[in-house]
Amino acid sequence: MSTTGQTTPMQRNGIHIDDTFAEAFPMKATRLIITAHNDTWAQHAAVATTGFATSVIACGCEAAIERPLSPDETPDGRPGVAVLLFSMSGKELAKQVERRVGQCVLTCPTTAVYAGIKDGDPIALAKNLRFFGDGWQISKMIDGTRYWRVPTMDGEFVGEETTFVVKAVGGGNLLILARDTEAALAAAEAGVAAMRTVPGVIMPFPGGVVRSGSKVGSKYASLSASTNDAFCPALTPLARKTELDPGVSCVMEIVIDGLTEADVSAAMRAGMDAIIARGAAAGVSRLSAGNYGGKLGPFHFHLRRILGEEGAV
Amino acid sequence: MSTRLHLRLREAPPLRVSLDGIVPEQAADAADVAHRALWLGNQTIELGELFDVSTQTLEGDAVPELVIEGDCRRIDGIGRGMNGGMLRIEGDAGDYLGAGMLAGVIVVSGSAGDLAACEMQGGRIDIARNLGDFAASTLPGSMDGMRGGTLVVRGNVGARCADRMRRGMLIIHGDAGDFLASRMVAGTVALAGRAGAHCGYGMRRGTLVFAGNTPAAPPTFVATHQDIVVFWTLLRRSLDYHGGRFAALPGRAPRRLVGDLAAGGKGEWLLPHTD
Repeated sequence: MSTTGQTTPMQRNGIHIDDTFAEAFPMKATRLIITAHNDTWAQHAAVATTGFATSVIACGCEAAIERPLSPDETPDGRPGVAVLLFSMSGKELAKQVERRVGQCVLTCPTTAVYAGIKDGDPIALAKNLRFFGDGWQISKMIDGTRYWRVPTMDGEFVGEETTFVVKAVGGGNLLILARDTEAALAAAEAGVAAMRTVPGVIMPFPGGVVRSGSKVGSKYASLSASTNDAFCPALTPLARKTELDPGVSCVMEIVIDGLTEADVSAAMRAGMDAIIARGAAAGVSRLSAGNYGGKLGPFHFHLRRILGEEGAV
Repeated sequence: MSTRLHLRLREAPPLRVSLDGIVPEQAADAADVAHRALWLGNQTIELGELFDVSTQTLEGDAVPELVIEGDCRRIDGIGRGMNGGMLRIEGDAGDYLGAGMLAGVIVVSGSAGDLAACEMQGGRIDIARNLGDFAASTLPGSMDGMRGGTLVVRGNVGARCADRMRRGMLIIHGDAGDFLASRMVAGTVALAGRAGAHCGYGMRRGTLVFAGNTPAAPPTFVATHQDIVVFWTLLRRSLDYHGGRFAALPGRAPRRLVGDLAAGGKGEWLLPHTD
């Protein structure tokens, strides 16, 4: 359900900003730093680790690359990638971290893995993966941090024993209402590119964009979520309620998970600014957001407040 | 606010005296410390008979501090079992310095005797000059030596240093006596000077870094050839903090030997100055 209001119009660069908010939820998150012999192999490992991690509904976690890291930003002085993983509980996150690191980092040539967050609740990182060493693994404590060295065919895999889980925010979102697919995609790409410059956030869907936005519930009892019919152009004349105006034929959504409420807000601001800067002439008529009436999620990201509430420009 | 307890040794005692149990946490109770009974041979004396005792209030968030001044070569057990605070020794210390220490910092401006840091579990000990035998090793009759923390020796160490060491970091800027890291179970020893005979004898696990001279490897140590540059970078960056030869370690992965093959062969020697 959306709470789109039409009380006081607000436009930026010709784009209407709905008087609504994105409703987000508490999640648990961790950051991992994956390094390798060069950028290519660090990227391979990071992409694999964050694969099939678009939504907690069926993937177990939401994960993506946060940003690449230069050698002087990593513990071992090699190129790296920071990835963020989010889940609904610390227990599920621990399971996902172990599986994904075990299958996608340990297996990837030359890689090593470290905790990217140093406070919070500890969960296993290489703590259990060490048993792959079949007794040949070596523990080393360096400056209070325990690492495991596991012999592999390319030398050895080095992993920090634990990473740390912090409270986080998942489900920040932005809906882009456009005249056609071309315009919607271009705006979404610009928004995601801007959001990726904000630290502490990921956009977990393919390319950062989701076209199958959902509402809570379904006519089928076995489904907890189904298509967001109010924003489907195909259902404008059919659905009980539509949020679309004539002339809108494509809607894209950007979903944002962040380590803090401020991170999500900053990312939404960056994304909206980028889309607004392109102007209505680029084909975007409205920016909106998805929510559930404000009763389910404690984090409300009001679009107009994020943009500063000033009137039409 | 914390307190600094100052003990000034009037003169070296005629017999060995144990200061076991006098730790920085007791700094606030100077009167009690002055009346503490110490064994001197087969009779007891009060601590105040040997030391001038004074206290000083420290400002801010300073930790409790104990300062011991004088020729303490016959004073044993200083800082034994210490669990926090700061202990400074202006001069030399006797045996068992920091034995079984759990936390805190001990700084010695001179040397210390035998069994320093044996069974140490945490904290940091910094020795400006030399240590006697069995540093970072076991208490007599025990199975495990140093179990955690950091011991830094600016000078030389005696024989059997790090014997049965199980965990922790030992930094030696000078030379080591015979049987360095013998029967070592785990942990890291970094040596800048020369090692005596039988280095690594019976070593089961653990890491020995030779930042200076490369010793002749015994026949029970053999070379491996895998890429360990990741681990080496992590360790090298940690050692760099200690300065001296440890600040000039090469970035490329060092030559690696594993041994003692007579004890499982999972210990390693890292030789950064050999190809």
